[in-house]
Amino acid sequence: MSTVHAATDSHGDHSDLVAEDPHFGKATGGKIAMWMFIAQDGMSFGGLLFAYGILRATAAEWPIPAEVLGINLTAFATFLLICSSLTMVFAVLAAEERNQKNLVKYLGLTILGGIGFLGIQVYEYMHLVHIGVGFVESSFQGEPINSLFGTTFYAVTGFHGLHVLSGVIYLICIFKGALQGKYTQGGTTSSPVELVGLFWHFVDLVWILVFTFIYLL
Amino acid sequence: MEDHSTASHDAGHGVSEAHPKNAGQTKRQMYLTVFLILGFLTFLELFVPPVYGAEFSSTTKMLLLCILAITKAGLVAAYFMHLNHEAKWTRWIAYSPIYMGGAVILIMLESLYR
Repeated sequence: MSTVHAATDSHGDHSDLVAEDPHFGKATGGKIAMWMFIAQDGMSFGGLLFAYGILRATAAEWPIPAEVLGINLTAFATFLLICSSLTMVFAVLAAEERNQKNLVKYLGLTILGGIGFLGIQVYEYMHLVHIGVGFVESSFQGEPINSLFGTTFYAVTGFHGLHVLSGVIYLICIFKGALQGKYTQGGTTSSPVELVGLFWHFVDLVWILVFTFIYLL
Repeated sequence: MEDHSTASHDAGHGVSEAHPKNAGQTKRQMYLTVFLILGFLTFLELFVPPVYGAEFSSTTKMLLLCILAITKAGLVAAYFMHLNHEAKWTRWIAYSPIYMGGAVILIMLESLYR
C-alpha cells in the first residue's frame, strides 16, 4: 500500500506534492511513461544496431568505417552532445531551485548544442554523398564498396538525427514555457523540464553507442 | 502499510533538504566530474581505431571500444538520467532493452550452434 506524502520544497511551498509509491517511489506518472517510451525506443535502436551487426558480420567485404566516414568531426559532434547533456542537467537543477534566469540560459545552450549537432550531421551527409557514399549505392576513392555500408549508415544515423530534431523541437516548447516562468514560479512544477531532460539524455546515450558501433568499430 | 519518509528518500539521493544551496553545489560538482570523465573517455576512443595507427587486434579493439561505450552510456544513465536514484520498478523498465538484447543474443547463439 502506498502512502501519500507531502514534500515541501526548499522555498516552503507545497508545489511538489507527490504520492510515494512502494514500487515507483516519487516518480510521477509522466516520468514512468517517459521511461517506458525510452525503453521501447531503446529496443528500436537495439534492433537497428543488431541488424547492422548481422549484415556486417555476414558481408563478404566491409570498408573500415573510420577511413570512409572520418571521425574527427563526428568526435567533435559527440563532444557537443555530451556538453548539451551537461547544460540540460544544469537546466533541470535550475528548475528545481526555481532559478528562472539559469533555467532559460541552460535550456538555450542545450538547444544550441542540438542545433549544432544537426548542422554537423547535415554537413557530414553532404560530404559523404559528394565522395560517393549513397543510400543505395556506394563507392570510396573511385572503387565500389558494399552498398549496405551506406544504407545501414544512413538508416541508423538518420533515425538518431530524427530523435535529435524531435528533442530540439521539444526543448524549444519547454524553453517557451520557461520564458513565461511556467516551471519556476510558486505553485508550479519542474516536472516537464525533468522529462525533456530524460529524453535528451537518452538521445545522448544512444549516440554514444551509435558512434562506437557505426564509426569506430 | 509502509511508511516512506522524506528523510530516507533524501538519504538515497545523497542530499539534504536542510541545505538546498549546498546540495545544489554538490550536484553541480558531481555533474561536472561526470562530464569530464565522459570527455576523457571520448578522447581515449579516438586512439583505438586503426586510422590513428593503434595496432590492436580486431578482438582487442572491439572489446576496448565496447567497454568504453558501455561505461559512457552507464555514466549518462546513472548520473544524468538519475537512474541510480530511481525506485526498483522504474529501473526494471529502464533496463528492459538490455534484457531484450540478451534474449536476442541467446536466440542467435542457439541458431548458430543448432
